[in-house]
Amino acid sequence: MKFAMTRRGALLSMVAGAAIMLALPALAEDVTITFWGAYGNGGNSTQQDALNNTLIPAFEAAHPGIKVQYVDVPYDSLLQKLTTSAAGGELPDLVRADLGWVPQFAKLGVLVPLSDAMPDFKDLADKTYPGVLATNLYKGKYYGLPLDTNTRVLVTSQAALDAAGLSAPPATFDELKASAGKLKDAGFSVFADGGLGAWNIMPWIWSGGGDITNPELTKSSGVLDSDQNVATVQMLVDLYTAGEIPNLIIGNSGATGTSDGLPSAEYANIFDGPWMAGIWKDQYPDFTPIYAQIPAGPGGSVSVVGGEDIVVTASSKNQDAALEFVRFTQSEQFQIEMVKTGQMTVLPEYAEQQNGIAPFYATFAEQLKTAKNRLAISQAGKVDGILNTELTAAFKGEVSVKDALSKAAAQIDQLLAEENS
Amino acid sequence: MSHWRQYLAPALFVAPGFLVFTVFVLYPMAQAVLMSVYDYKIVAGAVSTFIGLTNYLRAVSDEHLWLSLSNSGVYMLFTVPPQIALGLGVALLLQKSSPAQPFFRVLYYLPVVTSWVVVTLLFKYLFADRGLINFLLGLHVSWFSERWTAMVAICALGVWKGIGWSMMIFIAALQGVPNSLLEAAKIDGANPWQRFLNVTIPAIWPTIAFVTIMLVIGGLNVFTSVQAMTDSAPGGSTDVVLTYMYRETFKFLDFGYGSAIAVLLTLLVFALSAIQLRFFRNEATA
Repeated sequence: MKFAMTRRGALLSMVAGAAIMLALPALAEDVTITFWGAYGNGGNSTQQDALNNTLIPAFEAAHPGIKVQYVDVPYDSLLQKLTTSAAGGELPDLVRADLGWVPQFAKLGVLVPLSDAMPDFKDLADKTYPGVLATNLYKGKYYGLPLDTNTRVLVTSQAALDAAGLSAPPATFDELKASAGKLKDAGFSVFADGGLGAWNIMPWIWSGGGDITNPELTKSSGVLDSDQNVATVQMLVDLYTAGEIPNLIIGNSGATGTSDGLPSAEYANIFDGPWMAGIWKDQYPDFTPIYAQIPAGPGGSVSVVGGEDIVVTASSKNQDAALEFVRFTQSEQFQIEMVKTGQMTVLPEYAEQQNGIAPFYATFAEQLKTAKNRLAISQAGKVDGILNTELTAAFKGEVSVKDALSKAAAQIDQLLAEENS
Repeated sequence: MSHWRQYLAPALFVAPGFLVFTVFVLYPMAQAVLMSVYDYKIVAGAVSTFIGLTNYLRAVSDEHLWLSLSNSGVYMLFTVPPQIALGLGVALLLQKSSPAQPFFRVLYYLPVVTSWVVVTLLFKYLFADRGLINFLLGLHVSWFSERWTAMVAICALGVWKGIGWSMMIFIAALQGVPNSLLEAAKIDGANPWQRFLNVTIPAIWPTIAFVTIMLVIGGLNVFTSVQAMTDSAPGGSTDVVLTYMYRETFKFLDFGYGSAIAVLLTLLVFALSAIQLRFFRNEATA
């Protein structure tokens, strides 16, 4: 009996031991979350290195049991890879998404609405730039948080100012118009841009005091073809007709691009983002760009927001771990580490620290305070096509500016109706 | 039994190719036809709704699709005849053996085997505002700022890149022209032009038919050069059917509509090919 007891006891302890041994690896097994992004775009490895060597190890040390695997995808193929992965149900847990893609993927239903999934969403969101945060909004819910940002500012060539006898970049629409003639005589185009999509034209529209739709995103007619917008676009068309804006703006792919035309003393002013500094440093070492705010119109100086958001996919099996990483991206450590590699922080509280690291960011950070988001609808790509097509006709003088804007507005109305149906 | 066996070996030889063809061509084609009658949702597990011919009706009344089709048509009309004429001309010149012949054959064939993207960028620079073409012609034309001047550049590229291909086919065909017939015609007093018209052309007629049909199909399927040269600018006016289809499908994720455009283009190409086949057959027997 005693023997039997012992044997049963031994058996029990063996079973228990086995159970514990089986259970232990399961408990201790790491959760791995996958994160896709295009940090390495353009062969730039500094951002990837910061992520892989500094930030991810720091996150993993603070969150034992969570492993993060970052997969770098070239920017040009990222959207296609995301689309095919969505079709195949093979999306990663986290994506660093171009802000224009967020509504498109939110509509497909492949993203987690963070404003529902994170109890602390509002606290995190309130700290970011409002224009940047807005890029995550789709039909009343936020599907991501800003990760890094940029905006377009006025970039001026000193050579142009000298040649035309000007002392400073144009601060207002009027100064811009007034300088056009002198610059033309000196052989410069007063302004150049590579298209007429929202990224190109919205800084003008907003600064002119207009908009593309009403705030409720239900109507473009009456807003896009408003008198302010007609005046703003007419100003550009007049400059174009006078030969003071090159036909690069209507998509002439044979014209000199803005990134070459500014340093090579062809264009006096362009709008561009913070990434150009690095490009010019390599290709035009003697060129010193002057950064200034977008020329102010009746609506002030208002630029357009660019950048990336971080989103969590609905198919993620490790949503809690993924959300934890999203929180980490909003930390001082993450944001500042990325500033050092050439990204701009999405949190105004770190702007000063950022400007200390790279002083030229100050102009961009200032512009970001009022910068706005483009139309956040799933068919935003079509809006670019519509604006390009209709405005090109106006620039060529085939239709009046008013008619072009009305025609564009009618088509955007239709997209809005589809979006809201 | 032996009857059955007779077909076994050929069937086995055909099977691998046919399998690949089924999996990678027939199945996707059938799938595209199916997609075109749905409001197709790409996400795994999402429900696509059957919408019948809606996508096709939309296509027929889509002005931009007609503009794209007219651009594809213009490209086809202005690239096919020059490719045939110049290809045949070069083939005739390079028929006679000479020390330089292989060199020139390679030279003319080189564009054919070069990547579309690379030569498109090359032409983009040639036709740029400050490019070689403007420099040589003493012009100040912004080729890519207008629909028709941009089409000139796109067509020029198409012809330049295509001559080598038709040349190669014609060289092969010309070697098959019976010398006895040419000599007989010569004895009968036919001059070179008459010999070309009455002996050579009839002898290579099936090849001309083949080249024409292939080039028409290729012309209507122009894509890479337009995408890389103008990206449909200015304002979408240089869109061709495939760039428009590509954008609708992969940029706007409207797979149903994109598939409908693809099906319509296939039907058009099929019909045109059938008409040409009939034409060439009638001409040959006439």
